[in-house]
Amino acid sequence: MTLTRTLLGIESSCDDTAAAVVRLKDGKGRVLSSIVASQTELHAAFGGVVPEIAARAHTEKLDTSIQSALDAAQLGFGDLDAIAVTAGPGLIGGVVAGVMCAKGLSAATGLPLIGVNHLAGHALTPRLTDGLAFPYLMLLVSGGHCQFLIAHSATRFERLGGTIDDAPGEAFDKTAKLLGLPQPGGPAVEDAATRGDPERFRFPRPLLDRAGCDMSFSGLKTALLRARDARISDCGGLTVTDRDDLCAGFQRAVRDVLIEKSRRALQQYLEMSPAAPTLAVAGGVAANTAIRTGLETLCDSLGVAFTAPPLRLCTDNAAMIAWAGIELLTAQAVDPATLTARPRWPLDDRAPVLIGSGKKGAKA
Amino acid sequence: MSVPTILAFDTSAAHCAAALLRAGTIVASAREEMAKGQAERLMPLLEEILAAGGVAWRDLDALAVGIGPGNFTGIRISVACARGLALGLGKPAIGVSTLEAQAFGRIGDTLSLVDARRDQAYAQRFHDGSAQSAPVVGDRASFANGIESCIAPLADTLARIAATRLGTAQPRPAPLYIRAADAAPPRDPAPVILEE
Repeated sequence: MTLTRTLLGIESSCDDTAAAVVRLKDGKGRVLSSIVASQTELHAAFGGVVPEIAARAHTEKLDTSIQSALDAAQLGFGDLDAIAVTAGPGLIGGVVAGVMCAKGLSAATGLPLIGVNHLAGHALTPRLTDGLAFPYLMLLVSGGHCQFLIAHSATRFERLGGTIDDAPGEAFDKTAKLLGLPQPGGPAVEDAATRGDPERFRFPRPLLDRAGCDMSFSGLKTALLRARDARISDCGGLTVTDRDDLCAGFQRAVRDVLIEKSRRALQQYLEMSPAAPTLAVAGGVAANTAIRTGLETLCDSLGVAFTAPPLRLCTDNAAMIAWAGIELLTAQAVDPATLTARPRWPLDDRAPVLIGSGKKGAKA
Repeated sequence: MSVPTILAFDTSAAHCAAALLRAGTIVASAREEMAKGQAERLMPLLEEILAAGGVAWRDLDALAVGIGPGNFTGIRISVACARGLALGLGKPAIGVSTLEAQAFGRIGDTLSLVDARRDQAYAQRFHDGSAQSAPVVGDRASFANGIESCIAPLADTLARIAATRLGTAQPRPAPLYIRAADAAPPRDPAPVILEE
């Protein structure tokens, strides 16, 4: 196959405004440019992402980010084959801004427009970075999501389980907030944990006693709050050692849950007898060394290959959206119905609902 | 470009409105009332307006877009779309506020008002259509004798105002929110860190 395709990708579903150009050539994907305009500073004072602030920033950063991505790739619209945009799931204000900007671009340039599921973007990234063959097991673990998916094809994902409440990245952020550490919480908590004693505070491992791959992290946050408050009422505050030990105990609990649930997900996946069994992990939490090392050790013991895309393609970015667009074009699975911005959009609509089973449907 | 071709649109309130200005005349105009669904309706409506005026996207000299004040999401739908269109066409998008549009063509002093809910209004003073103050939000009762509509349809007026600005450098259109984002810093303070 010598088919060449060049796509612009646009992503605005959380607190990063991103645009990228990706090219498929000789069967391989290459990132020609990837711009990520972070809003971290805008949200810092609020201890979390504020949807209205995010939507405001996206609206005024999308076009300039797209221009930057084209400039960095040294391409114009005439060099593109299509535009891919995140159409959900995510914070709806930002998703709407991205979809409307993309609709405007598409009308102006005549380029076809492809709506991409943000989760599919993450789940297909290992094919861009490592050329992974289907089926592979995907652990998507970030500030907004946590789920195990078997990627059967560019359009078929089977969810084995996931969090029934908070995502681990969110738990790291909340832990940092409770302990007076800076945001984003992942790197700050990990850094403190390297100096801490993980045995001093024993935190619960929710749902480990239950079969299956579902997880829960909100109780862990409450346990951390109780342990913190007990120290504060005894001593009037926390010492740095207390803080480091709390971080280490918390991180150990998250790691233990993720590793054990990964073991179960891998067992289910291996029943399919895949030719080249592989676990791929994506999302910001994949950058945590303790968790990553634990997953690598687990994979080694089971004879499964382990891969994690580089961090810049693991956290939110638009290259994964452009790549997912290329995959959908290749699979001839472009659906105009995906062009409506959707706050909720589960990748596997046959699996039981994990979160948000109200009248608006499953969240993810 | 003495007689520019301009496509104008607005979704800053419970409507989807568009107009096409060509050779000094509004050749097509539409306004559909809707509380939601503007994100899905806007592009098809713009295509219809262009078709009615016999104009292709590449024939446009500029876009005019309503920047509010009004419904935050509605404003963003149009502004994001206008910015995408402008980038793709290589033509300017010119943002015009509803407050200014309502004062356009009025002689003398005008207090322009837009409903801000919660018994409040967005307000700005104009003289012969020129702004005399910055836009503000305040209690509706504090504003007397204000006007709350345009002389011509809103989208038509946006196009005509944009035509007067074409040819001079214009900033990219940005929403006119006036109200700050509803967000409060966390209530629980960080713990005291003790010396060891």
